[in-house]
Amino acid sequence: MNPEPTPDAPGPLPGDHAPPLWPHTLLAPGLAGAAVLSALAAPPLVGVGLALFAGAICIGSALTLARRVRRGERELHELDVRLLHSQKLAAIGELSSGIAHEINNPLAIITQEIDLARELFGQDACPAPEDLADIKDCLDQVGKQVARCCQITHKLLNFARKMEPVLQEEALEQVIEDMAVLVEREAAGRGVAIRRDYDQSLPPVRTDVPLLRQVILNLLTNAMHATPEGGTITLATCRQNGRAVIEVRDTGCGIPPENLPKVFDPFFTTKEPGKGTGLGLSLSHGIVARLGGNLTAQSAVGKGSVFTVSLPL
Amino acid sequence: MGLRVLAVDDEADFIETLVKRFTYRQIPVTAAGNGPDALALLERESFDVVILDMRMPGMDGLAVLQEIKKRHPLVEVIILTGHASVESGMQGMSLGAYDYVLKPVDFGELLEKAKKAYERKKLNESRADA
Ligand SMILES: Nc1ncnc2c1ncn2[C@@H]1O[C@H](COP(=O)(O)OP(=O)(O)OP(=O)(O)O)[C@@H](O)[C@H]1O
Ligand SMILES: [Mg+2]
Repeated sequence: MNPEPTPDAPGPLPGDHAPPLWPHTLLAPGLAGAAVLSALAAPPLVGVGLALFAGAICIGSALTLARRVRRGERELHELDVRLLHSQKLAAIGELSSGIAHEINNPLAIITQEIDLARELFGQDACPAPEDLADIKDCLDQVGKQVARCCQITHKLLNFARKMEPVLQEEALEQVIEDMAVLVEREAAGRGVAIRRDYDQSLPPVRTDVPLLRQVILNLLTNAMHATPEGGTITLATCRQNGRAVIEVRDTGCGIPPENLPKVFDPFFTTKEPGKGTGLGLSLSHGIVARLGGNLTAQSAVGKGSVFTVSLPL
Repeated sequence: MGLRVLAVDDEADFIETLVKRFTYRQIPVTAAGNGPDALALLERESFDVVILDMRMPGMDGLAVLQEIKKRHPLVEVIILTGHASVESGMQGMSLGAYDYVLKPVDFGELLEKAKKAYERKKLNESRADA
């Protein structure tokens, strides 16, 4: 199902401006091969020189490629960090206006009460006996408002903690199935069937269950939107290299190779304006990364797509 | 074991059955017939898990969920609905619901989910103390 690899479009490198690959795939092996072949016919001393030359070419090419892979990995990582950061910023922006409002009210009351108490204390800081009860009321009110502020900050702390995954042991099927049932109703209406292929021997995973449900729901929804009547969506789980793997496969329209590297970008969408925000996959990618896993896509135009979530076991 | 449930649904018969079944398992459960009542109950008493219907007259389930998560972020919410849509499922899950379950649901399964949601709340709370 992999898109046909073309010599100058290395899949995982996001930049279109990457240097060409042919020096490594054609030139270096060609030169090395020619050197080795001529070494066979040449006198021994020249042969050693040619072999060394071939070795040097191979090492040089390998080093260049390794450097490029490194750089690609680093770029991907930075992209991910930036994406998570921008999501956090958006959440913080929304939050802070709420917080300001919630805290300003008690602050306004506290200011009023303190003003009143000062007045009651009088010029010589010696309140009249009949005012003492009122001053006590002021203090009580201040105490109450401070308690209210404390409550707000506690809740905020809770919210901040909420952004950290909470790991619970759960059978993967349990995580997936409610979302599958939910999408199944709508999919059936569109003439799309949902098949299950769960590995019954898979041990439970330790993960953030509701976060993973969001990912599954996003993948299922995308698959449903991409799949025409008569198509099938398959949900599969299995164990691979000591990791738990979830696959969401569809027999839908597929993703053109030039779009495949972009589907995880925030705001990348091929849906009509107003239909898709282009955030589903970037959000899912961020969530899976936070859960210590990987989310990858494979697709062939006209045949369908596979989205794979792999999680630590 | 300490799990306290608040069930919110405008369908009186359904709520009654749910209350009976939780009570039979000796799990304290309180019923509310609409969103504002549920929110008022949450202010007065502590609950761990709210089982919440989506379509209710007045305040709809998503609005109630949003309010609960704002005021009591540690309380876990399981959406249980007969009027499901993928769209509202997406919204519910991204607003922080623990799960989105369609009616009818097997009671044993619902109980398991409530216990899991409770376990999550406890984990969150123990992190709060750490
Ligand atoms: N299963 C799939 N088959 C074909 N194309 C897909 C599939 N999943 C994603 N895509 C492509 O990737 C794009 C981005 O998907 P993503 O979920 O991030 O955003 P969206 O679905 O367009 O909008 P939304 O924010 O509502 O999810 C889609 O617009 C679509 O072009
Ligand atoms: Mg989407």
